[in-house]
Amino acid sequence: MIGEPKRNAGTSRDTRGFSREFVLVVCFFCLIALLGVTALVSRMYHKRVHSLADQWFSYGEADFKAGNTKKALIEYRNALAFSPANVMFQFHLALALAADGQLPEARAYLLPLLSESPGSGEINLALARIAAQQSHVQDAMLYYNSAIYGEWSDDPIEMRWNVRKELCEFLLSHGAASQAEPALVALDDNTPAGEVERQKATGQLLLKGQMWNRALAEFRSVLERDRNDPDALEGAGTAAFQLHNYAQAIGFLSRLPKDRSTDPGVPSMLETARQIDALDPFRPGLTMGEKVRRTAHALDIAMARAQSCTGPSGAPGAAPSPKSELSGLLATAQQSDKQWTERNMTRDPDLMNAAMALVFRIETAAAKSCGQPTGENLALWTIGQNLGSNLP
Amino acid sequence: MTETATTPATPVAAPAGKGIRAQVLAVWESWTGRIFALREDQFFLLLAVLIGIFSGLAVVCFRVAIEWTQLEVLGPSLSPSILRVLIAPTIGGLVVAFLVLRIFPSSQGSGVNRTKAAVYIWNGYVPFDTVIGKFITCALAIGSGQSLGPEDPSLQMGAGIASKIGRSLNLSQEKIRLIAPVGAAAGLAAAFNAPISAVLFVIEEVIGAWSGGVLGAIVLAAVSSVVTMRSFLGADSLFRVPEFRVVRAEDLLAYAVLGLIGGGAAIAFLKWLEYARPRIERLPYWTKYLQPAAAGLLIGVIGIRFPQVMGAGYSIIDQALHGQFTWKLLLVLAVLKIIATGISFLSGTPGGMFAPVLFIGAMFGGAIGTIEQHFFPGLSGSVGTFALVGMGTFFAGFLRIPITSVFMVIELSGNYTAILPVMISTMVAYFISRRFHKVPLFDMLARQDGLVLPSIEEQREQVAPVVEKAMQRDAALIFNASDSLATILSRAELKPEQPLLMQSRREWRLLDRERLKKLAEDKSRTYTAADADGKGPLPLLFPDLTLEEALQVVGDWPLLPVVNRADLSKLEGIITLADILRTFRNTPAE
Repeated sequence: MIGEPKRNAGTSRDTRGFSREFVLVVCFFCLIALLGVTALVSRMYHKRVHSLADQWFSYGEADFKAGNTKKALIEYRNALAFSPANVMFQFHLALALAADGQLPEARAYLLPLLSESPGSGEINLALARIAAQQSHVQDAMLYYNSAIYGEWSDDPIEMRWNVRKELCEFLLSHGAASQAEPALVALDDNTPAGEVERQKATGQLLLKGQMWNRALAEFRSVLERDRNDPDALEGAGTAAFQLHNYAQAIGFLSRLPKDRSTDPGVPSMLETARQIDALDPFRPGLTMGEKVRRTAHALDIAMARAQSCTGPSGAPGAAPSPKSELSGLLATAQQSDKQWTERNMTRDPDLMNAAMALVFRIETAAAKSCGQPTGENLALWTIGQNLGSNLP
Repeated sequence: MTETATTPATPVAAPAGKGIRAQVLAVWESWTGRIFALREDQFFLLLAVLIGIFSGLAVVCFRVAIEWTQLEVLGPSLSPSILRVLIAPTIGGLVVAFLVLRIFPSSQGSGVNRTKAAVYIWNGYVPFDTVIGKFITCALAIGSGQSLGPEDPSLQMGAGIASKIGRSLNLSQEKIRLIAPVGAAAGLAAAFNAPISAVLFVIEEVIGAWSGGVLGAIVLAAVSSVVTMRSFLGADSLFRVPEFRVVRAEDLLAYAVLGLIGGGAAIAFLKWLEYARPRIERLPYWTKYLQPAAAGLLIGVIGIRFPQVMGAGYSIIDQALHGQFTWKLLLVLAVLKIIATGISFLSGTPGGMFAPVLFIGAMFGGAIGTIEQHFFPGLSGSVGTFALVGMGTFFAGFLRIPITSVFMVIELSGNYTAILPVMISTMVAYFISRRFHKVPLFDMLARQDGLVLPSIEEQREQVAPVVEKAMQRDAALIFNASDSLATILSRAELKPEQPLLMQSRREWRLLDRERLKKLAEDKSRTYTAADADGKGPLPLLFPDLTLEEALQVVGDWPLLPVVNRADLSKLEGIITLADILRTFRNTPAE
């Protein structure tokens, strides 16, 4: 219970009779003394607190780098408890939270930091990564772009290039091809010639973005410095293959060292390129005789594929299906076979074109009904796909 | 004040050759002369700044003492070891109990009520050992993990410092009585780092009125204490407040629900304290030595699993504001904090309830916000937003200071966008709390302590009887100055009981019937009302004036006219002293 103060309420005035001047002087000296004590105590306290904060932070850093994120989180939080306004602590705690998957909390720490330093590359990048992890494409792009054009304390050129690369990777991984294209162009334009590793990384991303010409140019640039660089050879070979430049693709891919020539995709690409190179009657520089010979060979291959594909199940009179279409094409080919002799085709190149058109239709129909072609059929099918409606 | 009159106001010229000493003396006399030549009111304002600086420094030392104690006793980690968690508050409780009961008995009880008692009962007297006692015992208690806050002790320390300075300077009795709230505002402002909230709190809860005589001093003291505090501890707010999104109209419903639940939780807490406190007070006196230790042990047991509930908990509020807890944990922390704070408070451990109340509000707010967002994902506010509003909500529901609660949230968040949700939520909580718990916390504590303090809430809601209620309508005959005597007398004879009033321009006079009759006997000329030499001009009253104001004016006049404010020549009624007294008698006490 609250009791009355010992002193009587009615005599609350000081009766000692000190003058106001004297009391004010005493107050003044007390104030000076209290100021001194407060300054001393607060300085000692701040010193202690700052050292504790730094200590916890260094523990946190060590544990975070060692991959012990949970422990690092506690230590960062301890550090922040002693220095709540420390931007660096908040930033590192946010990074640790993001690494621990606590994305909304990490974002909650980063947003106030961003409002204080809207141009910070580091903070924008951290927010971009969080948005990327949450698959918020628009937010991620916004933050990535802010990071690219933001301020970086260490090596801004390299950091900006890294962020561009990360943005491209993010967009490509999320299938945002239309947004990825300008980002890839910017990355390519900002990749300095002579920095082989960056060029190769850029080339790989350009390949993923199906920007074959730029990829080929990037890898060629690398090959100018080191003509046997296996990554560049493989990349250049792939780009050349996609550009239907099979002779060039063979040239790059065949130079791959043995340990790389077995990389997934490489042997089949090389084989297909070689077969296309060997089978394509429209390849520039061939003599008429060679063209005709290749056409006749292609016709044989296609008819064999059609026969094996239609097989015994090709019942006549059934409803139109890929197989019935294939049977029809096969019948046409069999009927025209006598007419499409090497002699006739040499005389009339239009016959050769008609024969090749039939080959491509057979391969397409066979691919529909019997699955992806292989070997020479794949080569013919690819030639057909590449030509499309541009048959000479 | 005689000294002020005799002190020379002009500098005394130093005689040539007397040296530096004489010059210093001259400057000193010049300054003291100027200071003491100030009127008491002006001197009071100057004093408010001094009190603010002293209170600010005291609060800086107090906060450092609490945190240093916490560092030494509980260790530098947010998750201390089990041994520390159990032993620190228990031993701390024992030491605090000994200090409070044997050395600083004046440091018991609520700082707010002590300050109110100083104003209304003890003529502004707050013993200075309260300042020392509160400083030491609260630093030990809060630093060792008791679930209490530093704001209420800071408020009382400020009041104690102010009272000591006021008494030492032999201020007038009126000023000494007012100086304790000035110091209280300074102490609270420095503790909260929120000068507006502190000023509003002192006005809303301690003084109860916007008194012009003290408002300036309170504001000056609050500002100077905050400036002092910030120069040592930095300008950062107690919490880093998350970005507050603009809410849509329909989102406000979510905050109304928060107010509903926050108000309910506040009532539950209040009811528990109301029930348990008198019963614990009735326990044998020797148990008071053990009660804080027992409370400390219980809090330690809670702290093993949930160390967040220990101490004031500002850093935990900060984490809740940033959505770092799940709704389940938020809810658990809110309930456990109510238990821990209740235990600490009921055990008689000195310390304040402000910080724990904010803590509980933030946890409830965050939890309810998360749950609401689960069911209504379109809600625009974040968890932190709800936690922030929750702080104000529980504050308003528990302490019943709605205006302070609203402004506190605005001041802490620095974001005006928060005002609508905060207003809605706090008002809902406030009205629920009022509806189901008649007596506010501080009044309840004062009554339990046997102090007869004015209830500020009751004062606030009291409706003073006004003139309109007491006046008699159509109870006087009104004449113009140009009306003939014959007209006046003919009308007056019809209503002999009614007084006769003459209105001329904006003046009203009371006509005497006898005088009129005498004039009528003189047939030599035609008299008008103006010749009747009526009593007046009568002081005018308006219908909306309070009867207290009317009482001051009525004096010896037999009656006073009550006129319209827009048209002073329009009589609304008349009022007499008897009317006023009768109305006072018939008005039931609130």
